[in-house]
Amino acid sequence: MHRKSTGYLFVLPALLVLGLLIAYPIAYTGLLSVTDNQGNYVGLENFRTILAARATPTAFFNTLWWVAGSIIFQVILGVLTAILLNQNFRGRAIVRSVTLIPWVVPGIVAATTWAWMLHTEFGIINYMLTAPGIIDEPVGWLTNGSTVMPVMIAINVWKMFPFVAIMVLAGLQSIPNDLYEAARIDGASFWEEVWYVMLPQVRPVIIAVTLLLVIWALNHITIIYAITRGGPANRTLITPIQIFRTAFESVQFNQAAALSVMFFAVAITVVFIYIRTTAANAGASK
Amino acid sequence: MSDTTLKLKRTGLPVPLIVIGSVVLVAVCLFPFWWMGLSSIKTLRELYTIPPIWWPSMPTLDNYYTVLFESNIPRYFLNSVVISLGSTFLAMMLAIFASYGFARFDFKGKPLLQSFVLVGQLLPTAAIIVPLFVTLRVLGLVNTYWGLILIYMIITLPLSVWMLTSYFRAIPVELEEAAIIDGASRLGVLFRITLPLSVPGLISVLVYAFVTTWNEFIFALIFATDSSVKTLPIGLAEFSTEFNTDWGAVMAASMVMTLPIAILFLSMQRLFVGGMTAGATKG
Repeated sequence: MHRKSTGYLFVLPALLVLGLLIAYPIAYTGLLSVTDNQGNYVGLENFRTILAARATPTAFFNTLWWVAGSIIFQVILGVLTAILLNQNFRGRAIVRSVTLIPWVVPGIVAATTWAWMLHTEFGIINYMLTAPGIIDEPVGWLTNGSTVMPVMIAINVWKMFPFVAIMVLAGLQSIPNDLYEAARIDGASFWEEVWYVMLPQVRPVIIAVTLLLVIWALNHITIIYAITRGGPANRTLITPIQIFRTAFESVQFNQAAALSVMFFAVAITVVFIYIRTTAANAGASK
Repeated sequence: MSDTTLKLKRTGLPVPLIVIGSVVLVAVCLFPFWWMGLSSIKTLRELYTIPPIWWPSMPTLDNYYTVLFESNIPRYFLNSVVISLGSTFLAMMLAIFASYGFARFDFKGKPLLQSFVLVGQLLPTAAIIVPLFVTLRVLGLVNTYWGLILIYMIITLPLSVWMLTSYFRAIPVELEEAAIIDGASRLGVLFRITLPLSVPGLISVLVYAFVTTWNEFIFALIFATDSSVKTLPIGLAEFSTEFNTDWGAVMAASMVMTLPIAILFLSMQRLFVGGMTAGATKG
């Protein structure tokens, strides 16, 4: 009763839309990257120009720093939160709901609120640090070249660690009880349970989530763009923002396309590793 | 999830650690919103004092008045509602059919097509924004509702398909087979049997798609430059990028923007989180 052609009819509309809005733009980026703004073929000229730009290597290293810094803290804090929320205690449901709030609020709201809290003169954070004497005088968090990137990473971590927590929590709750019983019969302490039962069991989830976070961090423009636009002095310029600014501020669509092609190659590699890994996990768990 | 613990007294975190951990966690997650709310009811003078004031002596609604009656925010709110509802509805329709096809039929190339959908979900925005802009400009869709509605389908459709497919798969196929033997058509089966059984899944997809489009910033920044179609995130950014930022109004606008999402999310939380985790871990 499952006629094969019917299946195609069902999936066709969605695939057509995705094809038009995703596959076509990707192909078009390729075309833009090897032509000039008149549409003439120029070979690798655009690639040469954009690679020679001083901002490009800066953006590349900033992106590495941004992705690595975000991921490490998101995963560590997320896993710790999941372990906490996996405990039985009164009010757990409320704590869990509250934990998710940073993740659901709009990125732009997170950005503006943190920008206000980090305000050099009137910000609450400088006050909380200067009043008890932790720092001597207010820090210009968003204008000082050496603090601005760590601050951006911290905001991103605040925004995304709830996602890790909820995913890892789901994994923790599907661990069969026999494993805990076995560990307890062997006299394992709580931390030994965490180390020898929980973490190994949720390892596939952690790996999948980490790869997702890498992809999302590579994509994430909102927080940085809304607060600093890549400044001061390109200290927070990451590659997606460079593409954005090359295209829409300098109106160099072809150079932006060339940069997009290189960026896309990196991102798609991570995507494929992610798909391979999750497919392997699904296969192993069946 | 918790019934297992009744059978066996499990070792756990010491109670003081749980308490401290929970308090720190809640404080870290909520403090920015608390501060946002407080700042939104402060007068200009109280906003700009050193040291900052913890509790305003004269709470005021002036900032909300500015946002609601003297700015474009209400218009942007309306635009956001139209665009989010429009794209959520369209993505939902397409996702229902596609997910049903993926869940119930075997056809050549299905794994490949499913991977394509997943790649669509993970694709870097920055890599396609330039050609999308050029294309939409040619089609005359920049600064129209339709332009943003179409664009937002790219970011919500793939995960919607993914979530619904795993939901449909979990519904026993025997129910549908019985109906088909009784002479129901495929579409009849989908609309009368499968969909009513999938209401929780459908709701979680709706919430996901609505929240995602409501929050989206970067595409809106490019595709909506006219105040007739600008969405709330752009409105908020406008407030704060001007040279002289009115922080009281910015915080009030942030509240206006966050409340619908917070209410929607907190009321639908169980369904939504269930759908997300199922969609992301089952692969």
